[in-house]
Amino acid sequence: MKLSARKLVHSTVMELPMTSMIDVVFLLLVFFMVTAAFIETERNLDSAIEVKKSSAAESQSDLEPAVVEIVPSGGRYVYKLGAREMTSEDELLEVLEQFPAAARADGAFVRVSDGAPFRMAAAAIQTAKTAGFLVVTYVPKRE
Amino acid sequence: MQLTKHRRQATSRMNMTPMIDVVFLLLIFFMTVTQVSEVNRERIELPQQKGVEDQKPAELIINVMEDGRIVVSGNTVTMPRLVAILSETLREAGGNPMQVDVVLRADARGTSATVNDVVETLNKMEMRRVRIAVQVPR
Repeated sequence: MKLSARKLVHSTVMELPMTSMIDVVFLLLVFFMVTAAFIETERNLDSAIEVKKSSAAESQSDLEPAVVEIVPSGGRYVYKLGAREMTSEDELLEVLEQFPAAARADGAFVRVSDGAPFRMAAAAIQTAKTAGFLVVTYVPKRE
Repeated sequence: MQLTKHRRQATSRMNMTPMIDVVFLLLIFFMTVTQVSEVNRERIELPQQKGVEDQKPAELIINVMEDGRIVVSGNTVTMPRLVAILSETLREAGGNPMQVDVVLRADARGTSATVNDVVETLNKMEMRRVRIAVQVPR
């Protein structure tokens, strides 16, 4: 028999064991931190491709287009632009930056010999892009 | 007859086991999905360059290994087989070569001979939208 008119007061104490959850969260955190450190960022170099180098007559300006060749010289491969041979990307960049804006709008050509290291081909395309050439065309150089 | 109030102390406990199950299930799911999406990209040493643009989805990824092997979708292919794959990709793209995005991933340690072969093949099929994959230096 209930004599009191007041409702029973239930004192509810909620206990949430957080230990397991924290374990899981930290495990995931560590996992993603470790895997993120191993993932290498991949990007792209946009490049047109062509088998034969376009002639100067096809260019929009009267200027000779920039043609960077990767050729063997003295037992190693070098960048060759006209008569100049360059061994480093910095040297190549310095020369390419001297081209007038109209020539840069025409784009550049990178002619790559079969035996040339591919890293040099990618470096030449990157350097031409950095120098401000809008379109860089990869041209296989077959002897 | 009960005259005094009975104060009940209810202790509510949350069962963490299903939650941990779900979290691990999600973890395994995402790990598997990541593996599947990376099947087209071989583990090769790409040229160390800053690149021009971020990765975009491509219809075809052609991997050129250090030794000159061509790998597409995890399979080593010959040049005639590559031509067949390119033709199939072109057909799926509605026959318009400008709709086909190709990513060329070549090993920086290798020579350009195979890359030149691939470029000539792509050029014959008028596929000019080719991007060269590079790896951003740390």
